[in-house]
Amino acid sequence: MNEAVGDGRRGSGWSLRLRLGLWLALAVTALWLAAATVAGLVLRREIGEVFDSALQEVAQRVLPLAYAELLSRDGGSATQHMAPIGPHREYITYVVRDADGRELLQSSDADLMQIPRGLPPGFHSTERLRTYTEAAVRGTILVTTAEDLGHRRAAVRRAVVALIWPLVALVPIALVGVWLSVRLSLRPVITFRSAIEERGRGNLAPVAAVGLPEEIAPVATSVNALLERLRGALEAERGFTANSAHELRTPIAAALAQTQRLVAELPGGAPRERARSVAVALKRLSRLSEKLLQLAKAEGGGLLAETPTPLAPVLRHVIADIDRLTDRGEDLMVEIPPDSGLVCDLDPDAFAILARNLIENALKHGTPGTPVRLRLADGLFEVSNGGPVVPADRLARLIRPFERGPTGAEGSGLGLAIVAAICRGAGLTLDLASPIPGEADGFRARVRFAAVPQA
Amino acid sequence: MRILLVEDDPVLGMAVRDQIVADGHTPDWVTRLDDATEAIHAAAFDLVLLDLMLPDGRGLDFLKRLRVAGDVTPIIVLTARDQISDRIAALDAGADDYLVKPFDLFELSARIRAVGRRYAGNPNPLVSLGDIEVDLAARSVRRAGRPVALTGREWSLFEAFVQRPHQLMSKPQLEERLYSFDAEVESNTIEVYIARLRKKLGAEVIETVRGMGYRLGPPEAGA
Repeated sequence: MNEAVGDGRRGSGWSLRLRLGLWLALAVTALWLAAATVAGLVLRREIGEVFDSALQEVAQRVLPLAYAELLSRDGGSATQHMAPIGPHREYITYVVRDADGRELLQSSDADLMQIPRGLPPGFHSTERLRTYTEAAVRGTILVTTAEDLGHRRAAVRRAVVALIWPLVALVPIALVGVWLSVRLSLRPVITFRSAIEERGRGNLAPVAAVGLPEEIAPVATSVNALLERLRGALEAERGFTANSAHELRTPIAAALAQTQRLVAELPGGAPRERARSVAVALKRLSRLSEKLLQLAKAEGGGLLAETPTPLAPVLRHVIADIDRLTDRGEDLMVEIPPDSGLVCDLDPDAFAILARNLIENALKHGTPGTPVRLRLADGLFEVSNGGPVVPADRLARLIRPFERGPTGAEGSGLGLAIVAAICRGAGLTLDLASPIPGEADGFRARVRFAAVPQA
Repeated sequence: MRILLVEDDPVLGMAVRDQIVADGHTPDWVTRLDDATEAIHAAAFDLVLLDLMLPDGRGLDFLKRLRVAGDVTPIIVLTARDQISDRIAALDAGADDYLVKPFDLFELSARIRAVGRRYAGNPNPLVSLGDIEVDLAARSVRRAGRPVALTGREWSLFEAFVQRPHQLMSKPQLEERLYSFDAEVESNTIEVYIARLRKKLGAEVIETVRGMGYRLGPPEAGA
């Protein structure tokens, strides 16, 4: 059988830091983009006004000059191109035409613009041009200034892009800033969280709540109150188990001792034999009550100690005890590597009960004359004994109370049920194997101490 | 030995006291810790049998006070608390031995003998039986100069023979030495242990008296 306790300790939720960072970055980006859009719209209007005013200004300046130029001309009708003074890019061009639309005068780049004819006076927009036309001398001279609309759009675009560029730097800076500040201000919360995590198993000491934010402080208070109540309940349960053991054992001890005195004081014969059988029955009763008390403890909640303890010394005590009671120390082959200081938060008394039951079982049911091998190393406790193979379906049933293996040996039938209950309650894995892996027969019980905290 | 018995249960206390008397020791029985404190100051005891839960306090505190005061009187703890942590705590506090209730009276006798031996220097702890040399104080056996390892139960049985050389021991007498608690004494247990002793120490070491029992073999035969 295999009983592992699942480890679903973390949900799939995002961390608070990530959420805050992402939301803030998104909000900053959206606000910044909105601001840039509004700025772009305003800019386009303002730039339009400035550029229109420049168009008008140029037209009104060119008009008298063109008029004077035409008057001084001697009847020639060829279009005159005004050579630029220095090479430059002409954003604003002009053309001077007569009433019939003939070009009289134009700026050097005016051909490129292809300014249409017959424009009404004032501002006018075509598909790609913005124009301003001014008429003079009763409509015989028309001055049109023009500007490529693309230029205006490019100007607005460049301004908006210049506004957006800082965002590229701003978003990572905001993210890092948020992450840092959240981390700093969440530090007490994170300390608090790991303190609670440590209390997942046996440790029920109150959690320190130093420097916690106002929002979380009540959580700490509640957690501590719960821990306190849990501790009280577990202590009461432990006390109850120990006290009921005491209350049950004392009268049995008294009855057994009195019966044994009776055996010693009675003359031989039937009365003495009768008293002897009472003593035997009392011993059986005491063993059964001991097993039932062990099962009660195994199924209770006090299986984890608050401080992890090394298990090897406990195991040595148990082995010495079993040797004294059963005289089978010679049959135990114990392997405890000196450096395998297996430290576990399993309650030492619970481990003692677990080890005692596994060893007693192995001694009881193993083939006489073959050793029982014990090994406490690598986070494992193994007890193996020789003997006939236990069929797989039988193996699974062995952990049920009062279920016995293929054996004639006498036993309470509770040993493996107690071991299984302790493993279940303490989150350990119990493996029963028969035959012993890699061998022809035998039986092996193996307890795996999951995630051994090294103290 | 003069033994102070501290036990508040009257029925159990009476039986233990009678067992101590039957073993040839002198018991003083008290049921409270203050009586125990008074007694231990008033007289010298060779051994204290101490219950841990008493009406006026914890036996463990009494034990610690004695040890802190430099009292080295051997102490065997008798308790209904069987947890390994209680046991370790009692041994750490200075208890010499620890017996969980319900216990077998013959096991108690054996523990009393063992603790008594550990403290009272036996004037003649070495016994020679042919080529076998027994050190009763150190609980060790050598055969032809080489040490022989005996299990606790083998030793317990062998010791009964060595302490009463040439005296016939009946099977029930021997069974009482085997304070077997966990494994019940079965009808052939004595035969099994006698066979194991003969295997380890030589076939002649124990003689079978048919229909009567066993006795230590004559030293000449082993020589």
